[in-house]
Amino acid sequence: MKILVTDDSRVMRQIVIRTLRQAGYDDHEIIQAEDGREALQMVGAEKPDLVLSDWNMPEMSGIECLEALRASGSQVPFGFVTSEGSPEMREKAANAGALFLIAKPFTEETFREALDGVLA
Amino acid sequence: MSEHASSLVQQPITDVLDATTVQRIADDVWTALVGDGEVLVPLPVPAPEQTVSAWVQITGPWCGAVVVTCDQPTGVALTECLLRARPPAVIEPEDVDDALGELANVLGGNVKSLLPEPSSLGLPQTGPTPPASRPEDLCRVDAQWRGQSLTITVQGATGAPHAERNEVPQ
Repeated sequence: MKILVTDDSRVMRQIVIRTLRQAGYDDHEIIQAEDGREALQMVGAEKPDLVLSDWNMPEMSGIECLEALRASGSQVPFGFVTSEGSPEMREKAANAGALFLIAKPFTEETFREALDGVLA
Repeated sequence: MSEHASSLVQQPITDVLDATTVQRIADDVWTALVGDGEVLVPLPVPAPEQTVSAWVQITGPWCGAVVVTCDQPTGVALTECLLRARPPAVIEPEDVDDALGELANVLGGNVKSLLPEPSSLGLPQTGPTPPASRPEDLCRVDAQWRGQSLTITVQGATGAPHAERNEVPQ
């Protein structure tokens, strides 16, 4: 399977990718985007099986990307990995069609709990 | 004070969280991001002469910033930890900005979750340590990591309205 990791921080993308491997998802292809706009383009071009996205990003935020994807008819599985995990944001994410929201800081167990149902 | 002015007053951050809470958040961040066994010790050491800071702004009923400050070598060492980089890996200045910014971002996101809604979090910024507004609107953790000074502040924005706004700024 192909996973698109979207975050404007290169360091955080590396941390997310490392955590994916530590969580046991080391046989999946990982591709990367630097913001929501690039992620939107890459979903069309690369056809990932899952998008993991930060929320706050320049150019286009994660929630704007998700809303644009759903508006265009894409039903690609989408989850947030973000520094904010308030009930309000979780509700907003779910209403927009996100499968889960992983709050930073996270562990490999957090990833397994969120991803096992998606990537199994 | 008029009713209108009262509605503009910013509640001091110390009414909402204390240094122990910030330290607890930082402990979780250090374990998860910096590495197992990496500890932010809440014991101050002399501050370095030259520092770098990263911060995220919070805007809402409380306006201010969550700021991480350390010296440049400590910033490089933190970046190596976040990237799990091993020598001879080259850490570029933009990597340090990115890593410190992400630490501030994750700390800021967790602090924001304790603040009144609706609040929003800005994108990470780096540069000279931004000035704090008033001691009453400041929560500060003076700590050390690997023996080097590292400070986390949750500080009200300069210019944010305060209850004692007639006092002379310090």
